[in-house]
Amino acid sequence: MKFAPAQSERLRGFDLTPMIDVVLQLIIFFMFTSQFGELSRTQVELPREKGQEERLEKATLTVDLTATGELIFESEPISLESFARIAKIEIERYGDANLVTVRVRPDRRCLAAHLNRVMERLSRAGVSKWAIGTMDPLSAPPEDGP
Amino acid sequence: MNLQPKSAGFRSRRLGALPMTSMIDVVFLLLIFFLVTSSFAPEEGRLDAALQTEGPALTSVDLQPQVVLVEMGASGPVYRLGGRLAVSPEELTSILKQLPKEAGVAVRVRPDVPVAAAAAALQAAHDAGFTKRSYVPTQE
Repeated sequence: MKFAPAQSERLRGFDLTPMIDVVLQLIIFFMFTSQFGELSRTQVELPREKGQEERLEKATLTVDLTATGELIFESEPISLESFARIAKIEIERYGDANLVTVRVRPDRRCLAAHLNRVMERLSRAGVSKWAIGTMDPLSAPPEDGP
Repeated sequence: MNLQPKSAGFRSRRLGALPMTSMIDVVFLLLIFFLVTSSFAPEEGRLDAALQTEGPALTSVDLQPQVVLVEMGASGPVYRLGGRLAVSPEELTSILKQLPKEAGVAVRVRPDVPVAAAAAALQAAHDAGFTKRSYVPTQE
């Protein structure tokens, strides 16, 4: 009559290799994703406001607005006309302007003239919802100079 | 003299007894190293608003008190709300709290004002309890 092996024997034969594989895969995954997350964000000093509770939208186009009024979309400079075209295509794809939100990440030193120019053009392209990117003053880096 | 174990059973027993502790130690040290050395991007927030074009609706008598005009004052941005003037976002929030919320609030920002003041006005509207917030781009 054959009995199950003793507990000590079973524990000795426990295979840790898959666990280590998974841990290493996780490390590699987090290293890569954090790097890409950092790359896709342009360094802009966002307005220091706490913002609101994040609301998940079906489609969000994010564009950065630098201090000099330059638009950056997916890490590449883009003209206002081209971005307005992209927004229009996105609205047509979803069939409803309320489903598409344009998120602008402006530099807080940028003049409102640039923001107004962008918003005016986007409004003509059919955009009706937008959000301004902010950074919580508690998690923001210290301000440079006076 | 037989020095090389040839049987598969002996080999598997030897691998099964392989100490994994040091390997796990190294893995966790690597994990801690990457956690400590990596710099995490700070979390960002957002303020939603609707887009509204300038038109007769905004200049009507009913909506005039609900329009916040942000312009440059002598010592920085000021927030004008009908006949009232707020020199700080906190002051604007307390004024907005007294207003009816149903009609919403529209924010107009003069071109020479920094974007930070536009965000502060939208934040004040949010803090005052306005769910209907709109932004009116203006070139005047």
